[in-house]
Amino acid sequence: MMMDLEGSTEKSADFTNTDETSLLVIIMDSNPAQRILRENPHVLTQCVDSVIAFANAHLMQKAQNKLAVMACHSKLSEFIYPGPGKQLDVRQIDGQYEVFTLVEKTIKQNLAKILTSETSTVITESLLAGAIAMALCYIHRINRIKAPGLKLNSRILVVTGSGDSASQYMNYMNVFFTAQKQNVVIDVCALDQHLSLLQQGCDITSGMYLRVPQMQGLLQYLLWVFLPEPPIRQKLVLPPPVKVDYRAACFCHRELIDIGYVCSVCLSIFCKFSPICTTCHTVFKIPSLGVKPKKKKLKI
Amino acid sequence: MDEEDPKEYRWETGYEKTWEVIQEDDDGFLEASVADIIQKSKRKRQALKQGHAKLGMMRHLYIVIDCSDSMSGQDLKPTRLLCTVKLMEAFIEEFFDQNPISQLGIIIMHNKRAEKISELAGNGRKHAKAVKALNRTSLVGEPSLQNGLELALKSLKLLPSHASREILVVMGSLTTCDPTDINVTIENLKTEGVRCCVIGLAAEVHVCRHLANETGGTYNVILEDSHYKDLLFQNVDPPPAAVCLESSLIKMGFPHQMATEGTEDPLTMCMCHIDSADEGSKLTTGGYYCPQCNSKYCELPVECRSCGLTLVSAPHLARSYHHLFPAANYKELPYEHQSAICFACQKSFIADNDKQVYECNNCKKIFCTDCDMFIHDTLHTCPGCATNLATFQMSHSSQ
Repeated sequence: MMMDLEGSTEKSADFTNTDETSLLVIIMDSNPAQRILRENPHVLTQCVDSVIAFANAHLMQKAQNKLAVMACHSKLSEFIYPGPGKQLDVRQIDGQYEVFTLVEKTIKQNLAKILTSETSTVITESLLAGAIAMALCYIHRINRIKAPGLKLNSRILVVTGSGDSASQYMNYMNVFFTAQKQNVVIDVCALDQHLSLLQQGCDITSGMYLRVPQMQGLLQYLLWVFLPEPPIRQKLVLPPPVKVDYRAACFCHRELIDIGYVCSVCLSIFCKFSPICTTCHTVFKIPSLGVKPKKKKLKI
Repeated sequence: MDEEDPKEYRWETGYEKTWEVIQEDDDGFLEASVADIIQKSKRKRQALKQGHAKLGMMRHLYIVIDCSDSMSGQDLKPTRLLCTVKLMEAFIEEFFDQNPISQLGIIIMHNKRAEKISELAGNGRKHAKAVKALNRTSLVGEPSLQNGLELALKSLKLLPSHASREILVVMGSLTTCDPTDINVTIENLKTEGVRCCVIGLAAEVHVCRHLANETGGTYNVILEDSHYKDLLFQNVDPPPAAVCLESSLIKMGFPHQMATEGTEDPLTMCMCHIDSADEGSKLTTGGYYCPQCNSKYCELPVECRSCGLTLVSAPHLARSYHHLFPAANYKELPYEHQSAICFACQKSFIADNDKQVYECNNCKKIFCTDCDMFIHDTLHTCPGCATNLATFQMSHSSQ
């Protein structure tokens, strides 16, 4: 691998170019309703530690690299690094780079604030699409205020153990297409269930999707698969991209279909012909057979 | 300009002190002021665009471009034609990005003739290539608006009744040289429900105004190139559905890549390149297979060549949903320390710089000007509503 990199000097010059920085936004699902957290709440500690170590590894790669971390909680999503309000005052501890200490302390403090404010025990879904939307707005601003001539590669990493829900479909699609347009790569690290919607997002934005087989090895997976920048990834041997199923689910039975009927007004998908659209209540004309006699009459 | 009364000429309206609108900023630049004007007009248009209107989603648009002598004028830099070509390329890309299941065709008018340079099709790259090739066409003679419209109408007529039919004319000339009465053509377009929009590059022409008014389209004359771009890109959003537009259920195929466990994909040829001269069909693995007749295509969306089924993927349809369910408009408020930071981008508000802030009516979150633009232009999802469980459920149940 190394030889390959050194061999192409032009490419490697690109990677080390100081005009190029990368912004990583990590979205951490901290919703207590996730199955893995309900079974064993300590998983969150491990998850947070891994994410912090991973975030620091990202900052370590290049001095100009930027980082933001968000927590997606049951009722709200918030930036926990760089958090709202004043930056924490940190001193060097045991010779550790101050920024790393700052990252760790800020994340833990802000996350604790969110967790202690949690009162209800109702199980709710994590609104990841909204969190990605916020991240995109943040990236959009950083892009706007960056120094001219500076190249900023942005990506979003979603670390989540919740399942995906069809109710957020529209929001998901909006954020995926926006990310694609803004050249933002979306990476997804699924901790528990397979996430077909987010997998589509990875495919659309050419990011990586990985379902972690072993929670114990989370940091290892993060460092291995998600730390390399997207341009370097093609040189590595990573899990191969899976073929994503883009078939549509019909609105009537939520089943995946090969051939379906689409309403010309609202683009709802149905598996069988029906005379009235259930979404927009449009009355359809009967196809083919109904039209022919009319034409004949006109000719006469 | 957009809403000016068609009966009234510009010189009949009140005396406007246009120069007073423009103000220098602290450094003596005008850019901020101009950006402000553009943003205001965008917001105005945004306010008009509110969901629940029936839209013509399956668009079939013919772009009719004037390639006559008058397009060599140099009032647009470098020439009118080159400027048009450049903007048109961007327009085509944006059009297919926003309307993935729509189709486009291109017609040029020169030397009193109309010529189709690109058939009605859903592949943006082919059209962009055709437009690029216009750089080398010779600009001769007068345009014939009637011939251009007739040629477009001839193929739009054949479309099924649920298709939204549109013509966009880019007119550089102030005259048109027509074989017969153009009013008959306009009448025909009207009865067929074809919406005609005209962008004039020179000055207002009565016949263009008449054409647009009769067919329910818009007619605008450009001020300069950025205004030209703005007018052109207004056509990216789908127009309200024509009255005669019938609704129907359209049979569509959703191909999926064939994946049989353990076996390699067979090498096959695709149908899209089978008879193209410049790049022939190659033997490849993978691709999209028509669920009805099993022919292979390398790109979606496409109409199956052997069985005529429209093949799309679910994200293609999803990409059009935001036209139907746009993000709710925000309320503009003077900044009175409602919030220390913008909810979406985390920018801290400074009282001197941020005079206006924007509030979402549903989630009551405060946003900055840039986020307001970004959310409504590109994102189409309110980050406040989408992260708040209560408002998310509310907005979801109302759809």
